[in-house]
This record gives sequence, structure tokens and C-alpha cells, in this order.
Amino acid sequence: MASTTQKQNRSAELREQTFRRLLAWLDQGVNTNGQSYLAIRERLLGYFDRKNCLHADELADETLNRVARRLDEEGGNIETEIPAKYCYIVARFVFMEYLRTNEKKIAALDDIGRQANAISPEDRRRKERMFECLDRCSAKLEASQRELIFRYYSGEQRVKIENRRELAQTLEISVNALSIRACRIRDRLENCVKECAGHE
Amino acid sequence: MSNSTDPNQVITQYLLGSLPEGESGRLDELSITSQEFAEVLSASEKDLIDAYVQGELSGTVLAQFESHYLASPIRRGRVEFAEAFQVFARKQSVVDDSSIRGPADLDRKQKGGLLSTLSIFGQYAVLKWGLAVAVVFFIAAGAFLLVQNARLRQQISHEQAHREELQQRETQLQKELDQQRAGNTAIEQELSQVREERVRLEEKARKSGQLPASGPAVVSFVLTPQLRSVGQAKTVSIPVNTVRVTMQLNLEPNDYQTFAVALLDQSNHQTLWRSGKLKAGSRGDDRTLKVSFSAGLLKPQGYALQVSGISANGQSEVLSDYPFKVVKY
Repeated sequence: MASTTQKQNRSAELREQTFRRLLAWLDQGVNTNGQSYLAIRERLLGYFDRKNCLHADELADETLNRVARRLDEEGGNIETEIPAKYCYIVARFVFMEYLRTNEKKIAALDDIGRQANAISPEDRRRKERMFECLDRCSAKLEASQRELIFRYYSGEQRVKIENRRELAQTLEISVNALSIRACRIRDRLENCVKECAGHE
Repeated sequence: MSNSTDPNQVITQYLLGSLPEGESGRLDELSITSQEFAEVLSASEKDLIDAYVQGELSGTVLAQFESHYLASPIRRGRVEFAEAFQVFARKQSVVDDSSIRGPADLDRKQKGGLLSTLSIFGQYAVLKWGLAVAVVFFIAAGAFLLVQNARLRQQISHEQAHREELQQRETQLQKELDQQRAGNTAIEQELSQVREERVRLEEKARKSGQLPASGPAVVSFVLTPQLRSVGQAKTVSIPVNTVRVTMQLNLEPNDYQTFAVALLDQSNHQTLWRSGKLKAGSRGDDRTLKVSFSAGLLKPQGYALQVSGISANGQSEVLSDYPFKVVKY
């Protein structure tokens, strides 16, 4: 049993070393404390999700695992323009493999989509919980961020467009820069709510 | 290339899965390799979701949104969040309509107010000096309020930072506590395995004649659950050198099909042994569980067998304790 434990420890050390190597490669010399990894994982997840893959998060992880293994084989560096480009190439292979083995699951996914309109008591409880979490998570934002995001997303159609133009003028930035700023804050809020609602 | 030249429209078509394959592939690549494009895509996606939630989509776009976009659970989750967020944002914008003002805007507003005030009253020479004093007073009061406001904002921001710091610390401590708990469980399991292994080796040694074999190999007892009222623990007498103890536990009525049993030391509440998943047997109308563990685990003192029911989703609930007292002879 002792030897099994030792083997497990060694294997965990190897995994950690591989992961650290991946983080360093994605960072490209600038220590981002894992932010580059999180950003690329988020983009891979979006890619697989837009392809209607079930378990997009698992495919994103599989892509990064393959990149990490290749990095190990290559001694910590892979010849490519930018790390993200190599990740995209690997992601395409992962997707093609997924397509070959999961055609039926994609069809099933469409069926789920069509059943999405019925509101069950469980849905209602989840929504109530989401409001509680929105309250809690928005309180965690800085006051200026909170005000920006609620003003940015307030109003409908023309009113909304006018609001945004005024807000951009007030902050002396372009509407595009404002939209990206608001989008980042909303992402933070959404992630916080997701995490909060998941810990009921 | 797509017929549309409007970048927003191209992105919308991409999100709705209606771009030709070649162009869609190009955007797939950009969505991963270009941070800038990824951000624009994310912002456009939110606008598209919001337009859907606010009922602004129609025709083909609406149909594609419902047939393609809503096909993914992750994307449906985003729509769900957007619905909640918009209701929440509406409430918030009603509460606070004027907090964000850039320096230019603030300046413009103040100047406008001051000039119009002066133009109304400036014609009246009698009030000229009084008005000047009032204006100076208002300016001073305004400046004081601005300073106070800035100070309060700074204070709030410090308090928020402190609160966030405390929250992070709480999360970290919780994580550490969870890790320690997980470690304890692993140690308990290992201890139980070591004990089992030792008993197995002792049995083996006994069979091969290396250890004296006196007393019965297995002793069996029947235990009933502890009642809510005070009950006396059953005394079980175990001959020294008994190898295994088998306990039959008479179950109280319940709906569970699968069970687990743990042997607890009543003096320190430590778990000495855990069974795997068990199915109940039946005796007449009653259901029973039979567990067997090494006699070497027991010393002359109080113990309890704790029965938990395991639901189909793997969650367990403690059902009953079966206390007993060991006497060795």
C-alpha cells in the first residue's frame, strides 16, 4: 500500500509540473497568475459550445491537456506563432474526433433546445436564487463599476443606444471601449452569480 | 465571404450558426487567437441575448436564435442570467440615476446653473451685493460637500476592499478546513484497511499454525436500534482470540434500498471501521443488515454501529445507532 501511495504522490507531482509548464508557456514570459490560462480556457469553452458540443468544458480541458502533454514531450516549448494559435489547432482536432463519436448527442441537444420553454417550480426556485445572488454579487462590485454596468444595460432600443452614447461621452471613452468595459464587468457578475447559485 | 458587410451583422450570423463554413472557420480561429475579437464577440453576444430577452428580435433572426442558439444548455443559462439581470438592472437604474458624472459633465452642469442664476438676478442692482454673498456662500458650501463626498467615497471604497479581503480569507480558511477534513477521512480509511490487513494476516498465521487458535473463529449477535427513550446498550460477550464478529442489525421501517454501516468508538466518537454499500435481507416482515468485521477492533468498552441509508443519487442519511458494550472473557 505504501508503494501505491508513493506512486500516487509521484504522479501528482508530475501533473503539477506539467501544469506549471503549461501556465508558463501560455504566459510567454509575463507572469499573469494563471489569467492567460483562464482566458484561453474560456475561449475554448466558447468555441466548443458554439459548435453545439455537449460537455464543452470537458473538451476545452481535453484540448489543454493535449497541449500540456505535447509541451512535456517538447521540453517546455512548441514552435508556433502564438500559444493560442496552437491551442486552436489542437481544439479543431478534438472537435473533429468529437464529431466522429458523438453525432447522436448533437441531435439530442437540438431536442433539448426545443423543450426549453416550460417553467417548472424548480426553474422558479432557481430564478429566485439567481436574484438573491445578483444582489449579493453586485454588492461585491466597486461602486463605480456597479453604476456603469447598470446604466450601460438600462433602457431598450433607442433609449439604450442614447444612454450608452451619453455614458461614453461622460467617461470620455469610445462606445466600443465602453461596451468592452461593461462586458467584462457583466462577465464577472455572471460568473459570481453562477458560483453563488451553484452553492445553494 | 458572407453577403453582409456590417461587422455586427456578421458576428450575429456567426453566433446564430448561419455563416458560410469558410467564414465561420475564420471567426472560430479569431475567437481563440485574438483577445480583441474574443471581447467584441462576447459583447455582441450579450447584446444579442438582451435583444432576445427584450423581444427585439423578429423574423429569421428570432427563428435562428430559438432553433440554434437556445440548443445549448450553456447558452440557455446565459439567457436565463440575462433575464434576471435585466430585471435587476431596471430596479437599480431607478434607484440611482445620476451617480456617474465625468469631470467635464459635472463642470458643465455647475457652470450652467450658476450662469442662469446670475442672469435672473443680475438685473436687480439692489440685490447685487446680497446675491454676490449668497453665491460665494453656495460655492463654498458646494465645495465643502464635494470634498465630503469624495472623502465618503474613499472611505466606502476602503471598507469594500477590507470586506473583500475578509471574504477571500474566509474562502481560503474554508478550503484549508475542507482539505483537513478530507485528509482525516483518508487516514480513517487507511487505518481501517491496515487493521483489516493485520487481522487477515493473523488469521493466515493461525491457519498455518504460527499463532495458537483458541476460542471460536466467528461470533454472531443480533442488535436492535437504540430507541429515542433511554435504553441500555446490549452487552456482547466475546471470547478472547475470536477472529471475526458478525452482527445482525434489525432495521426500523424505511424506504432505502442501500445502506452503509460504520463502527464507532463511543469513548471518542472515532470511526473504527466502515462497510461498503449493503443491501438489506429480510426476516419475515422485518428487514435486516448483516455486517462482519474483525474482532481485533473491539476492546472491553462501549461501541455503536451506525446505519445510514444511501439514496439513488449517492447521498446518505443516518438512520439509527445500535449501541453495544463489549465484554471479553
